[in-house]
Amino acid sequence: MDTHLSPISTNDAAGPLGAARALLRVTGLAKRYGDETALADVAFDVYAGEILGLIGPNGAGKTTLLEAVAGLVPVDAGRIAWCGAPLPPARRRDVIFYMPDGIRPYRDQPVVRVLRFFAGVYRQPSGRVADTIAALELGAVLGKRVEALSKGFNRRLLIALALIAPHPLVLMDEPFDGFDLRQSRAIADLLRGAAARGRTFVLAIHQLADAERVCDRFLLLSQGRLRGEGTLESLRARTQLPAAHLEEIFLALT
Amino acid sequence: MRSPEPLRIARAPLRPLLAKEMREITSGRALWIMLLLLCPLVGFSFVQAVWLYGDASGGAQGSPVLARSLSSFDGILVPSFGAFYVGVTLLFPFVAIRALGQEKETGALRLLVQMPYPAPVLIGGKLAAIAAAWVMCSVPALSSLAVWSLLGGHLAPAETLNLLLGHLLYGLLVGAIALAAAAVTESAATAAIVALAVTIGSWALDFTLAGRPGIFAWIALASLTQTLHAFEQGVLSAGLVLGIAAAIAGFAALAAAWLPPGVTLRAKLVRSLACVIATAVLLGAAGQIRLAVDVTEDRRNSFSRADERLLATLHQPLTVTIHLAPEDPRYVDVQRAVFSKLARVLPDLTIRIAAPHSFAASGSDERYGEIEYSYGTRRDVSRSTSPREILPLIYGLAGVPPPAAAPGDDFPGYPLIADGAAALAWFFAVMPLAIALAWSLVRRPPRIDPAFTRQSSKEESHAIQ
Repeated sequence: MDTHLSPISTNDAAGPLGAARALLRVTGLAKRYGDETALADVAFDVYAGEILGLIGPNGAGKTTLLEAVAGLVPVDAGRIAWCGAPLPPARRRDVIFYMPDGIRPYRDQPVVRVLRFFAGVYRQPSGRVADTIAALELGAVLGKRVEALSKGFNRRLLIALALIAPHPLVLMDEPFDGFDLRQSRAIADLLRGAAARGRTFVLAIHQLADAERVCDRFLLLSQGRLRGEGTLESLRARTQLPAAHLEEIFLALT
Repeated sequence: MRSPEPLRIARAPLRPLLAKEMREITSGRALWIMLLLLCPLVGFSFVQAVWLYGDASGGAQGSPVLARSLSSFDGILVPSFGAFYVGVTLLFPFVAIRALGQEKETGALRLLVQMPYPAPVLIGGKLAAIAAAWVMCSVPALSSLAVWSLLGGHLAPAETLNLLLGHLLYGLLVGAIALAAAAVTESAATAAIVALAVTIGSWALDFTLAGRPGIFAWIALASLTQTLHAFEQGVLSAGLVLGIAAAIAGFAALAAAWLPPGVTLRAKLVRSLACVIATAVLLGAAGQIRLAVDVTEDRRNSFSRADERLLATLHQPLTVTIHLAPEDPRYVDVQRAVFSKLARVLPDLTIRIAAPHSFAASGSDERYGEIEYSYGTRRDVSRSTSPREILPLIYGLAGVPPPAAAPGDDFPGYPLIADGAAALAWFFAVMPLAIALAWSLVRRPPRIDPAFTRQSSKEESHAIQ
């Protein structure tokens, strides 16, 4: 079943699925580090089954936003609601899984033990783990220690952990980092398949071509502020650049 | 499509968490290096102790009086475990810090805190792994007990187990301090500095301040080293055990307060303050518990059974006023030889130091050195620090005759001339090799579950292509 979302303006309160209720609603999110503003009054919705791309240059606040939504960073202001009900930070881990960027978890352990640990914690059957291993082509490195993995395989491991976790909403920070074009396409297809089966993704991506390939909608973030939100079509309409790619739209809006 | 209603993830099973914590702590170098270092450290102390014990035993041959002074507990166990104590103080923080510091440094902590475990459960799992690591580290010291037994040495179960309990509690306390340091600080290196500052600092504190008067005495009591003294003297004190347990729980709670990254600094500080207050209250309550048992075979911390039976019948309040400065060796003697023993058997005993500040100014006080005893309406004064003179004095005040000495109360002593050289091979060669072998086995690649390596289904193969 293809659940790709139709290009509807998401500034509409009804959301991209018409009358669909937002799975996650973020309003007035603000975060400062001393004098530096990391996030300023960020508000957006996430809808069930979509892949939402969080787009912005380095330092735009993408990671802070994901960590704030996941409840891993204390915020100065803002509210997060799940299906209309407030979702306090302590409850976020019930519904949201966040895959951080730049981590190498349990580096002294073989890959298979890390996967087995996650499967055990979330009571996932070995069949599901095997499917994930096969889909991410991790079979060849199961016995390798995490510290010995290449950057690409480490990224595959992180994606595997996110897919083994049963949460309905998955936040991924730079899921395509370390992959070549062919691998990025394969991972994009994998995420699309998972979204088609009902999971929802928010992906922080700085490679705009990757974002354009995989995401249904986009949040354009710059200097901690939301500069645009919507599908590629709606953003093209807003910037009056009918054939523009995401890169040109981003430059026009920031 | 899956319903977008909130998915409440059930409480996760503990087994995978505990297994992960154990693997994390055993896969680090710190544990194995500590084990390898402990082998010669404990071994050297043990062999030295065996030689010295043998020398003393040679002199005691043919002399039952000298033989009575020979106890394996003092001669072998305490020195061998003393070396283990040095290892735990200096090296165990590095092992314990790894339980959290590694996850912090690699970013794995951000995955761990998202799992459906409350922070206290996560810290509890880490503390359990630290306890298991302590058990592994204690193998060289435990093996010294086995070697001593094989050499024909005597081991009294109660005092041996009490000593082990003391070292376990000390190890857990050091581990909990290291865990709290790892939770509060950003890097494992900083955590190590903080933890060592506490362990080595309190060690130095014990050396420099113990026996000094006033506030210094209180500061010296805060030394971690003090936690072991009672166990090394063969006393099992309920207040001390509960106090150490409260301190361990306090440091663990502090670590749990600092674990979740999504909490503001202010909230963490408030929770830390609550931990400190709760721990202080528990420590204060534990300090009020007077229940203590002398578990030594030679009953060094107790009067004879006949004396204890008679003293327990003295129901009127006995008040002792000591005209000695706390740092005076006579005060230390009388406290250890008489009053600490009296406190465990007399129903109503009050011990006071008469205006301690007045002693320091000059030694011209004529009453300095006197100890006053008041029992009911009767009063007496003595300068003795020996139970041989003080007990009859108390019996005199109470108007009861001293008890007759009961046969069979005497400790026979366990002299033994043994050759400890054979143990050198165990501590310096066999055990290190066994540890190195175990380390290599732990680092061996795991068996891959065949269920994990089956071919992907057609759908997924298609997806990845």
